[in-house]
Amino acid sequence: MIDVRDLRKEYGGFVAVDGVSFDVDPGEVFGIVGPNGAGKTTTLKSVAGLVEPTDGVVEVGGAPADARETRRRLGFLPEESPLYEEMSALSYLRFFADLYDVPRDVADTRIHDALDRLELDHRRRPLGDTSKGMRRKVAIVRSLVNDPDVVVYDEPASGLDPLTTNYVVEFTRELADEGRTVVFSAHNLYHVEEVCDRVAIMNEGAVVAKGRLEELRERYGRTEYHVYTTVEVPEAVADDGRYRRVVEGMDDVRRVETAAEERGGEVTDIRTVEPSLERLFLDLAAADDRAEA
Amino acid sequence: MRPRKLLRIARWETTTGVGGLDRGAVAVVLAAVAFVGAVGVVGLVGGVAIEDGIYRVGVDENSRFHAPAAEDPSLAVVEPDPAVVADGRLETGQGYDIYVQETADGTRLYLAETGGEPTEKSRAAATAFREAVEAHNERRMRLESNETAAFPVVVTLEFVARDDADGADADGDGDGGSGGNGGGAGDGSGSGDGDDTGGPGGPSGGTGTGDGGVGVPSLGAFDLFGTAGTAGSPSDISPPFPFQSLVLAFVFVLPLNFLIQAYGSSMLAERLDRRGELLLVAPVSPAEIVFGKTLPYLAAALGITTVIVAGLRWLGGGAGPLSVLAVVPLALLFLATTFLGAMFARSYKELTFVSVTVSTLLTTYAFVPAVFAGTSPVAFVSPLTVAVRDLTGAGVTAGQLAFATGPATLVAGVCFLLGLGVYREEDLFTQRPVHLKALDALAGRIRRPRSLVLVVALMVPFVFVAELLAVVLLFALPVAVSVPAVFGAIAVIEELAKGVPVYAGFVRGRYDRTLGAAVAAGSAAGVGFFLAEKLSLAVQVVGLPEVAVADAAFQTGLGSGSLAVVALLAVAPLLLHVVTATVSAVGGSRGRRGFLAGLAAAALLHLCYNVAVVSRLV
Repeated sequence: MIDVRDLRKEYGGFVAVDGVSFDVDPGEVFGIVGPNGAGKTTTLKSVAGLVEPTDGVVEVGGAPADARETRRRLGFLPEESPLYEEMSALSYLRFFADLYDVPRDVADTRIHDALDRLELDHRRRPLGDTSKGMRRKVAIVRSLVNDPDVVVYDEPASGLDPLTTNYVVEFTRELADEGRTVVFSAHNLYHVEEVCDRVAIMNEGAVVAKGRLEELRERYGRTEYHVYTTVEVPEAVADDGRYRRVVEGMDDVRRVETAAEERGGEVTDIRTVEPSLERLFLDLAAADDRAEA
Repeated sequence: MRPRKLLRIARWETTTGVGGLDRGAVAVVLAAVAFVGAVGVVGLVGGVAIEDGIYRVGVDENSRFHAPAAEDPSLAVVEPDPAVVADGRLETGQGYDIYVQETADGTRLYLAETGGEPTEKSRAAATAFREAVEAHNERRMRLESNETAAFPVVVTLEFVARDDADGADADGDGDGGSGGNGGGAGDGSGSGDGDDTGGPGGPSGGTGTGDGGVGVPSLGAFDLFGTAGTAGSPSDISPPFPFQSLVLAFVFVLPLNFLIQAYGSSMLAERLDRRGELLLVAPVSPAEIVFGKTLPYLAAALGITTVIVAGLRWLGGGAGPLSVLAVVPLALLFLATTFLGAMFARSYKELTFVSVTVSTLLTTYAFVPAVFAGTSPVAFVSPLTVAVRDLTGAGVTAGQLAFATGPATLVAGVCFLLGLGVYREEDLFTQRPVHLKALDALAGRIRRPRSLVLVVALMVPFVFVAELLAVVLLFALPVAVSVPAVFGAIAVIEELAKGVPVYAGFVRGRYDRTLGAAVAAGSAAGVGFFLAEKLSLAVQVVGLPEVAVADAAFQTGLGSGSLAVVALLAVAPLLLHVVTATVSAVGGSRGRRGFLAGLAAAALLHLCYNVAVVSRLV
């Protein structure tokens, strides 16, 4: 559904994105993570047809991303979604539905359904008088007024309270369940891990890793072993009446076991902890920075 | 561009625009519009009526002088009290400036006096009273069916030796211009420009001076009170300052200044908080967005103009659709330049600077020439001149209309085109310095050196308007000063127009920084400028080259009367433009400092050409 090949974008002399490639299948949720300035937003805006690539190809459904027909089937939610504060939610959403040539009766049904799902009241109140969470919900509904096949969300839960954030994250998952293709970025890696089928980790304008989470763990992750002992061993920390030492690999586990026995103790428990996306992300970003240096 | 989308965006812009105004702001805007309308109507109808009722006249209603006094707005008729002149004098402070006493012996006019001497005010009141009586008599005579009897013509023939071989007609003395069909003592007034010869066509036969100097503008064609051009004495000649034109120009220009403030704010608001980003993602083109947002402001400008014109027409003026039509290019020019400014500005502070600059420059451009609507062909630089002439019944030819409205329309079009070039995400929502955005706007239309033919050609309307503005600002100065000054101004303006697009191409990497590319780019820029510059021959339509400074500016050579000179001046500029643009381009290929040095050298070369070639040939 989405095909990005060798995307490069320069702003003046600054290279924001360089050689980014990925594809997203229909109905898939694809996450892009990375630190500030990694090129996530530029990549998403290129997919939304908002940014013209300096080089490379960005296609949605086989058509150029900036083609009018592509934009008609795409819903974009930028990180900041300032609204026209003089307008009510209803008139604002109707205006955008008009721009997408959605008939008024269809638009009204669609708008009210989406607003109901997001539990948004005060539909005729000027948007300037509503809360940030409500405005974000209106922005999300705006991205859906054209019933898009593809939604591109840049930090959909940005600046929202935890409750609304969970709501938005779940809603994003529901969109994929409905068969839409979803590409989104997030700072909160937990959300990406919760929702995404596949992820791309970006750093300094390039994709440093991509794939299913399990694949990434397998390829880049280091499984940690939490070894619990009855006596204190070097580098162990006290943990609920016992001592815990975190090591990588079975050789290290055996060394901890030996050290405990030498001190008259024993190993009571060994737990395996898979690396989180956050751990992977930090490791990969750090490795990339070291390689750069 | 799809009209439905455009109208939808226009409707939305109207909703958000009106929704963004609180009641107080709406009240202020309405008050301002009402003020403008009132000033316009009052100014048009009777000038500024600061003299209304200024002189108090004591005259009995049975007196034959009562009607003349009552008809004159500067005179206030006061019930007479014979006691105040009982001692044969009228003292000040009695409630009268003058007093008309009818007795069996005749009529006696008393002037209020202090210390035995009539006061200055009472003398002025007496003069105004005399003029009112004369005007009254004129009006009565006009009612006579036998006009020959009412306005007898006395011709005195005097034969004198002619002592000037050249005669006076060469500069358009306008001796003996027609006084119109009224058959009066028409002495004409023309200034030698073919316009405004003769008087206003009133029965008394004109208001001109006939001295061959600056023609007296005809103010009598729109004569609601029927007082103009009726007295026929030298003291009744209309003043040379074209007050009526000034007021009309003011009335049409002022609302545009209000509108561009709102328009500029709306355009900038889309950028500053990235609101426009969502519109860019929608399946509408930037042109649909921009013109959709512009349409309500253009409609408002035309609506206000239509109301003003309708009001003036209702009051008896000669205004018609032509007046409204003339304001269209001007409104477009105001909006287009504001749009471009809003695309470049990075904050409301910068926008304020931009909009004030736009207001000042364009008001000067539109307003100053229009003030001279009846006196100089320079006036046709401004579209407003068409409106003023339409309102005053002077009329315009198709050529004059095209000349007055064409440059403004073209510049507006180019401004919109350049602005649309930066109506994209990476320019709209970034804080790039203004000059870099300007270079972006130009570079957006450049793909290779030969693109410069079109891009530089598009700059020519700007050049044309800038040069017209230079002419307008300089034409009042002595020719010895204005011609060299205009040579210098034009050299700089034209070299900027050619050099900056070439430099933009280098900065944005549209071509390599090599000598070959510089020569190619410079040549393309020179050719593009030369071709488009030929449009400036349109100045012929209104006879602008008859003004010396304008002939120097546009270098037609027609003033020389030589076909060879005309031909040379038609071709020589091609060489000039190619050479100077190449000099700038070579400098530009070496960076900013190189460009500035190249530009300075090109301007100097251009100035030398103007001085050495044009001034000798023209």
